[in-house]
Amino acid sequence: MSLALLLRLGVVLSAIYCLIALTILIARTFSFGKQPTYAKAQGSAAKGIVYAFGQGMLPWEKESASKHLPTFFAGILYHAGIFAAIFFLITTLLLIGLPDAAIRTVRLLAVVGLLSGTGLLVKRSALPYMRFISCLDDYIANILVGLLLLVTILATYYYVLQFAMMAVAIVLLLYIPLGKIRHCVFFFYSRILFGTFFGRRGTLPHPSTED
Amino acid sequence: MSEDTRKDSYEERISGLTSAEFAKALQTFCDKIDIGDAAQLNSCVHCGLCADTCHYYLAGGESEALPAYKLNLVSAVFKNQHTRLGRIAPALTGAQALDADMISRWVDSLYGRCSLCGRCALNCTLGINISRLIRLARTTLASVGLVPPELQSTVSTAVDKGNNMGIPRQEWLDTLQWLDEELQQEVSDPAAHLPIDQSDIRLFYTVNPREPKFFPLSLLATAKIFYAAGESWTFSSDYYDVTNYGLFSGDDQASGVISARLRDSMHKLHANTLVLGECGHGYNANRWEAPEWLAGAYGFEVKSILEIIADYIRQGRIKLDPSRNQKRVTLHDPCNLVRLGGIIEQQRFILKRAVSDFVEMYPNREQNFCCGGGGGQLSMTRFAKRRIESGRIKADQIRATGAKIVVAPCHNCIDQLSELNKEYKLGVEIKTVSEIVADAIIIGH
Repeated sequence: MSLALLLRLGVVLSAIYCLIALTILIARTFSFGKQPTYAKAQGSAAKGIVYAFGQGMLPWEKESASKHLPTFFAGILYHAGIFAAIFFLITTLLLIGLPDAAIRTVRLLAVVGLLSGTGLLVKRSALPYMRFISCLDDYIANILVGLLLLVTILATYYYVLQFAMMAVAIVLLLYIPLGKIRHCVFFFYSRILFGTFFGRRGTLPHPSTED
Repeated sequence: MSEDTRKDSYEERISGLTSAEFAKALQTFCDKIDIGDAAQLNSCVHCGLCADTCHYYLAGGESEALPAYKLNLVSAVFKNQHTRLGRIAPALTGAQALDADMISRWVDSLYGRCSLCGRCALNCTLGINISRLIRLARTTLASVGLVPPELQSTVSTAVDKGNNMGIPRQEWLDTLQWLDEELQQEVSDPAAHLPIDQSDIRLFYTVNPREPKFFPLSLLATAKIFYAAGESWTFSSDYYDVTNYGLFSGDDQASGVISARLRDSMHKLHANTLVLGECGHGYNANRWEAPEWLAGAYGFEVKSILEIIADYIRQGRIKLDPSRNQKRVTLHDPCNLVRLGGIIEQQRFILKRAVSDFVEMYPNREQNFCCGGGGGQLSMTRFAKRRIESGRIKADQIRATGAKIVVAPCHNCIDQLSELNKEYKLGVEIKTVSEIVADAIIIGH
């Protein structure tokens, strides 16, 4: 078996493991059970959820974003880079040749994502309050993702480095269900809960004023 | 007993917890977690963007006040119990067992540096309901009798005596009788009175016991509004306390006992609507949480007095003359009423018609800053210094408006704002919405 095939198989198996582990994690979360809600709604949970995934994601709607625009945009670009790297990894696994424009786009997103991720890592390491709330997992996750972005960038230049990209991907996929990157699945449920809570209570979306 | 002695005995109680008590606390913690809690305890990415949404952190700059840190304290125990990496390599994810050290940190940060105002939750990048999870930890502590004694005392007084100030029934009735006479003079109508235990009426009105005890004129103000609107309403001679400090202590059982009294009074009085006086947490507790504590939907309406007054104005049942309130007025948004309660625009609608010069403070509405008096902080004297310090953010907001009157539809907020007024030399008057409306109301309309 060639190294390329071995790595390709490794990525597929670790991806399967990752999906199964995340599914188990979700099942275990559901096993906690849902408490029924009795209080009569004042607003709309559905509108709250729409707000949570739409308007509520805009920087001026959240003080945490509006007061920290560089971090907010670094976060967005970091994730854009990650999705570009995953896309490139999948096309590599499936032996799909991408046109040059697509490769250049992947490269650009991965570069911007890497710079953003590195910036966030520096921020976490440099600011005392960030260090205070961080644990080893925060650094490992950031470094692993940064490594994937780095090797993805290199792999867009040098075909042989696709092996390195796949090797890093295997490690990352094995780590995802264990550490904080698991927020990739819980993010959506968290936002639904956010929208439901503030939507039912009539706090969000903002009620219209009556002058 | 001195404050220091009380503090020592409380700390001794923590260090002397038995293994059975640790097991009970952990069991409560695990039993209370539902899907949403579990998902959110798995969600925090430690981005730290919540830091300056918290008035404690903004005012004091202590890392122990960071919302992410406070959430970490709760998720550390969750990870230790419910995640593989948390069990195998706790240091990697910050997982920690619920031991005496963790309980001390829970008490210090989750009781002592949080007013459960929910501002961090509203602004969390992922939407994690941090204050709900902090209350979950408080519930865990309450299950083994570790509510700070001063807060527990407020809850116990409410459970044992029917109201959180321990006002005897006769004293309450005497106050109402005195106010009856005051109302007759105020509206120049000998037939005017404060109804008590009237049944088959539209509104059952509940109040913060601080009103009859310390601010009876705010009760008179509301009675004047009801009189002017020709309302069908009543007080109850037994249970009239809108507050529920169980919301803050985390004791769901006590919360349920206190809530059930108002629900049962509603049934006894055959009233249509339970009207909650100007009390932020009382609104949140009775409107949103009580049906959950009592595991059943209410068969009656629950409304804030602000909704009732706003309706009177819309329906033309009362007429206001804003020129009677000439001084500049600003509005404080109580967290439990506004952000967590959804009563946002009614008070603005009222004030714009009751005063001639209304200015907003910034930020406002659901983004308001907590005054620092919520979360049971007013009861927990051991944390009073932090409470006053955290209120600096609100004091700065008020000063920036140039207002002479701060309206706060919450008696806990009024107490805290009164202390801030002195501490930060704001030179303002602090009033309820009802007091402002009563001053502007045209009797005989």
